[in-house]
Amino acid sequence: MRGSVFSAIREYLQDVYRRFQSIWGSLITAVPYLWGVGEQRKEVTEQYPDPVSSRTADDLPARSRGLLVNDIDRCTGCKECEKICPVQCIRVDTEAGADQSKLWVARFDIDYSKCVFCGLCVEVCHPQSLVHSKKFEGSVYELKDLVASFGRGFVTAEQRAKWAAMRQQAENDEVFP
Amino acid sequence: MSALPPENSWIAFLANSSDLAAALPTWLLAALGLVFIYGAIILPSGAIMSYLDRKLSADFQARVGPNRAGPAGMLQPLADLLKLLQKEASSAEWNWREALWLGVHTMALYSTVAVIPLSSSALLVNTDMSAFLPLWAALVLALGTMLLGFSQGSVPGWFGGVRVAAQALAGAFPALIAVICAGIHAGEFRWSTLAGAQTASPLTWTALCDPFQFIAFVVFVLGGLVMLAVPPMDAALSTQDIHGGVSSHLFGRRLSLFRLGRFYGFFLWSVIAVVIFLGAWTLPFGLAELLREQGRLWLVLALEVGWLLAKTFVLMLLVISFARVSPRGRVDQVTDFSWKVLSPFALLALIGTALWSGWGYLP
Repeated sequence: MRGSVFSAIREYLQDVYRRFQSIWGSLITAVPYLWGVGEQRKEVTEQYPDPVSSRTADDLPARSRGLLVNDIDRCTGCKECEKICPVQCIRVDTEAGADQSKLWVARFDIDYSKCVFCGLCVEVCHPQSLVHSKKFEGSVYELKDLVASFGRGFVTAEQRAKWAAMRQQAENDEVFP
Repeated sequence: MSALPPENSWIAFLANSSDLAAALPTWLLAALGLVFIYGAIILPSGAIMSYLDRKLSADFQARVGPNRAGPAGMLQPLADLLKLLQKEASSAEWNWREALWLGVHTMALYSTVAVIPLSSSALLVNTDMSAFLPLWAALVLALGTMLLGFSQGSVPGWFGGVRVAAQALAGAFPALIAVICAGIHAGEFRWSTLAGAQTASPLTWTALCDPFQFIAFVVFVLGGLVMLAVPPMDAALSTQDIHGGVSSHLFGRRLSLFRLGRFYGFFLWSVIAVVIFLGAWTLPFGLAELLREQGRLWLVLALEVGWLLAKTFVLMLLVISFARVSPRGRVDQVTDFSWKVLSPFALLALIGTALWSGWGYLP
């Protein structure tokens, strides 16, 4: 009978039967989910923000990407983060400060309305000053409030001149000790 | 319209109900009745089914589902409708071809409101061929949908349109044969005869009275899914396969019209499946005769419509659960399934049911 028209019909019918069996099997499998029977079938949704979940931000995974924070004391003002940001949400303005080893970060603004939380800036941050916090609730009433500023502020012309003098002094001390 | 049997038509029913109704012209009564059926039966059914559909699929996927609008999220369909109605157009250009073909599509669809059988006293078009009218309407609907897709000048529109037409053609054949099977059992294609061939007992329902009719019933339901591109046979219109196909460029009011139409097609098909295969509106325990003797005609009407809708909802929920647990078929798999599996089984059911029904008459 192999290869004959009868075996072809038999295979066809078996195929149809298997399809219906498979659909019936999945329907049966789905039934306990209607009542959430068993631990695996419970709803996994965290109801947020109403009712407020019992979990806190600290319960988030270690590498979760929340709002960015910059430790401005460690920041060197290298602008690597600004360069790699795919949505140009970081804006850094620097100038030479008193210390020759790092720049004065006058402005370090992150616009969370643009940020996509990709984490590229954190990866390239050499002094590891820019990190993700676990904070994720950032809603505000005004769009401009979504800009987080970590900069030290712009300096006056006198301060700039004073720093230039200090740097010159330090250089002189190095060359002619 | 003179061919209507007045005792079955709900126009006669309405006209006899009050002096005011009797004074109105027939066409106005018919129009008002259709608007009432649409607003009081079809729209609420759509809201209920869309809510149940979303809750059911949420359960299957261990989610919560709609829970914000109203108690347990029950007003979510209304909220969605209001949201869609107030959406702005994405382009200022008025695509008159799209509007035209959306109009044709919608008219083909809602022409069947006049045909839809809801109760023994709520039949408008009840001719000896009325069971075929929804099939022809579905073919016109496919044409309208296809040209609606073409009118958008987009790739999803073109492919979606062609696929909708292919599915409608593929599904129409087995569905037609399945209707003929039920007609062989009843002896006619009149709604009242098809319904009258069955009693309240499930064993006398057309779908369960012989094994071939059961095949015909399954073929009818699945053929309708293929024909109207209802999930899980909705590869021609799904977002994942083809960016929504014909509906990819629709938004706001037009999208809500299209979505409602999609629900209505599925609803109509399920109502017809219940009427011709699952015992129609016949109330159990001889309730209808009892109440008719007491002269409570409105109660009979309400109970029959409610009973029919209850059965329809159960059938629709079964189909929805089937859709939610099965992967969506690719469009060629769907048409293949229709031509190579549904059609042979439909023909088998036709031969079998003809022999079964004609056994006593054979020499």
